[in-house]
Amino acid sequence: MGTVAPRIRFVLFAAASVVIASVPFLTDDRYLLKILTFVGLNAIVVAGLALLLGFAGQISMGHAAFFGLGAYTSAYLTTAHEVPWLLAVAAGTLLAATGGLLLALPSLRLKGHYLAMATLGFNEIMSVLFVEMRGITGGNDGLSGIPFPSIGSFVIDSPAAIYILVWAVAALAFVGAANLVRTRPGRAMRALHGSELGALASGVNTVGLKVQVFAVSAALAGLAGALYAHSVGFISPSQFSLEFSILLVAMVVVGGTGSLTGPFIAAVALTLLQYVHALIPGLSKDAAALIQDWEVDISGLIMILTVIFVPGGLAAFLKRRRSGAGEEGEIA
Amino acid sequence: MGSAELLQFAVAGLKNGSIYALVALGFTLVFGSTGIINFAQGEFFMLGGMLAVFFVKLGLPLPLAVVAGVLATAVVGLAFERVALRPRRDSGPLALIIITIGGSMVLRSLSRHAFGGNELSLPAFTEGASIVVAGAAIERQALWVWGLTIVAVAGLSWLYSKTRFGRSMRACSLSHEASRLMGIDTARIVMVSFGLAAVLGALAGVVVAPLTQTSFNVGARIGLKGFAAAILGGLGNPIAAVVGGLALGLVESMSIAFISSTYKDVIALVLLLVVLFVRPEGILGRATREKV
Amino acid sequence: MSLLAIRDLTRRFGGLVAVDGVSFDVHEGTIKAVIGPNGAGKSTLFNLMTGFDRPDAGAVSFDGRDIVGMRPHKVVAAGISRTFQNTQLFEELTALENVLVGMHTRLRTGLVGGALRMPWTVAEERRALERASYLLRLVGAEQYAQTHAADIPHGMRRLLEIARALAAEPRLLLLDEPAAGLNNFETQSLSKTLYKIRDEGVTLVVVEHDMGLVMEVSEEIVVIDQGRKIAEGPPLLIQKDAAVIEAYLGEEGAYV
Repeated sequence: MGTVAPRIRFVLFAAASVVIASVPFLTDDRYLLKILTFVGLNAIVVAGLALLLGFAGQISMGHAAFFGLGAYTSAYLTTAHEVPWLLAVAAGTLLAATGGLLLALPSLRLKGHYLAMATLGFNEIMSVLFVEMRGITGGNDGLSGIPFPSIGSFVIDSPAAIYILVWAVAALAFVGAANLVRTRPGRAMRALHGSELGALASGVNTVGLKVQVFAVSAALAGLAGALYAHSVGFISPSQFSLEFSILLVAMVVVGGTGSLTGPFIAAVALTLLQYVHALIPGLSKDAAALIQDWEVDISGLIMILTVIFVPGGLAAFLKRRRSGAGEEGEIA
Repeated sequence: MGSAELLQFAVAGLKNGSIYALVALGFTLVFGSTGIINFAQGEFFMLGGMLAVFFVKLGLPLPLAVVAGVLATAVVGLAFERVALRPRRDSGPLALIIITIGGSMVLRSLSRHAFGGNELSLPAFTEGASIVVAGAAIERQALWVWGLTIVAVAGLSWLYSKTRFGRSMRACSLSHEASRLMGIDTARIVMVSFGLAAVLGALAGVVVAPLTQTSFNVGARIGLKGFAAAILGGLGNPIAAVVGGLALGLVESMSIAFISSTYKDVIALVLLLVVLFVRPEGILGRATREKV
Repeated sequence: MSLLAIRDLTRRFGGLVAVDGVSFDVHEGTIKAVIGPNGAGKSTLFNLMTGFDRPDAGAVSFDGRDIVGMRPHKVVAAGISRTFQNTQLFEELTALENVLVGMHTRLRTGLVGGALRMPWTVAEERRALERASYLLRLVGAEQYAQTHAADIPHGMRRLLEIARALAAEPRLLLLDEPAAGLNNFETQSLSKTLYKIRDEGVTLVVVEHDMGLVMEVSEEIVVIDQGRKIAEGPPLLIQKDAAVIEAYLGEEGAYV
């Protein structure tokens, strides 16, 4: 933070917004819009995960499960009970937040990184539940016929409109996160990441704050999941696997800790990597299949190489390097 | 439920429990020497089984293939530490944990490329029908599971208590700094503990493969259970890891007997969370208060 | 009535008794020093007084309220702030941000308010920035306001930690070896700063090895040796105390 002047940051944000907002006017390729909508959904999750991992220094391997929790909740409520869309999405978000709270409370009392393992376990358990609770989730077949987003009689049913909806939420998530890190709770997060003792001595309830941040990031994942369910109309358990959780962590790590811009760029890049075959027009079928087949390895390797060689991630390139001790925003 | 059936469930519990114990020992070893949770531990389990199957397919006789599978996994463990973790060994735990997470992702994926996405099976170590004891059938492979677990635990405790290397390892788990000052090569200790953790994981993976089949994606769940076992006993203490593993196996198996098999995988996590909540130092661990 | 009353405080680590039945009072508006040889139990005493550690026996009462068992952040909210022997600054934050974190208990903005940047959030931020700048001036660190803590010279880091502790608006400030590693000039300006802080109405307890500073600023001294209180009184009496002289001669020569 702090090294890029606020005005430049604002200009960058405005420029990015204009580019993103103009996409639906430049193309009517439904598939492309869908892919870019997925990018926006991942960006929403990453906004929360960047706060948790990049600012508060806590890792979660369960955000795919929160995403799934939001998706299933909202999908179930709208399909089985005809709950209004807005209410169903709110319920999905809230349930994910509550799940996050319940998971974080016991894990975060402890030193070390037990939270990582507890969240991994949570993801595995949710994977089991998504399959086994057939009455609600539809088992391995999943849930289909999930209605488009609608408020009253106004239905958001075109790919372009859904794209705009998702990116509007993503923009709000990033603006909110950016505001947060510059005020009292955000400073406290960065502080406890730097020195837990110092934060305690400054009167920060370190455990309480970590739990809160975890719940917020889980809520954002749940919100993105709910939006996902209504934009694709079909969900099944395999979409909320551990692999997706790790990919989300990779986005924040590659983007750089202590930054929001870096993780955002990484979220865009690593999500697009999954769809490279569709984005590069001249790509041969074999090459596309090869890339798709190795996409997980590429993401994993990029994550490891980032931690080893560029601990500051993409954000390190965005910031002017400072002289002296203590690299900024590194994964310590 | 009759006593024979109950015994049958107990046998199954102790069989799975031994596997959990071996994986838990791997966690404990690495945690002891580095203070980090190695998320790739489950992948060592996966690699052991997959590599043994691979060597059998190459035409190696089964015993040789099993040994080769374990040794090859050990090489992977050593290499992983040397290449991926050593360069950042002075960083905090978060960086190292992320590296092991990335490592597990890559190992899993590479294994799929190399050995395919299907379930694979390994022949039983000893042919023959199950042995019936007091009405409970015990597969011959289960005897191998117990036998190898006992050998591994005995070997490890000998290493820990009787050798210079074991003493260095224990010193390392108390304080890296002090150990370094005493002339202990901590880098070597860390690397070897990864190698040993890989051996333990691979051993578990190989010996259970004839019973359950194996595939590229079995690592995450077994890693989770091994970790639950380690936490259950008290992370960092080898005996506790074994006790935790057996206890987890028994609890799981009894919950299948008395509740339902659908949620057997949920039991481990619920247990993990309960222990973390109520008694984070584990059943056998001693409560410690941190000094500022 | 005394602001802080410590009664029979005891803390054991295994077989070692780090603090052994220590009692003393700190009166409002005074500067009290706690001295003693290395390993005498002074830092443990601080940890017991600030919720970082729990005593095995004894009581700590602050303004008539028992604070044993309170979590550290509650102790800060109750009005006791501290610094550490090894400074615990937030290295990636600027000096100004360090002090702003210190104001945590005196600000209200929560996660929602912070994310939405409500008008009252903005107003609170403005007030906080003003006060943080004032505190940096008070300790003489204003030129480093925008510098990351990691890049601030050693002597200034100790002063910055004091400013951060003051930001919580404590009634009682505990300083753990504030002069360690400071040169003569810096120590002198430190003693001036300590007076300024006291004149703002803050009561001080200082653990310190620099006897010159202790004798100059403190109104009362408590001497701890091997976990026990061996003497208490005004500086002039302490200098002549036989037990104190022996405790110091025993360890590191004629210190007093």
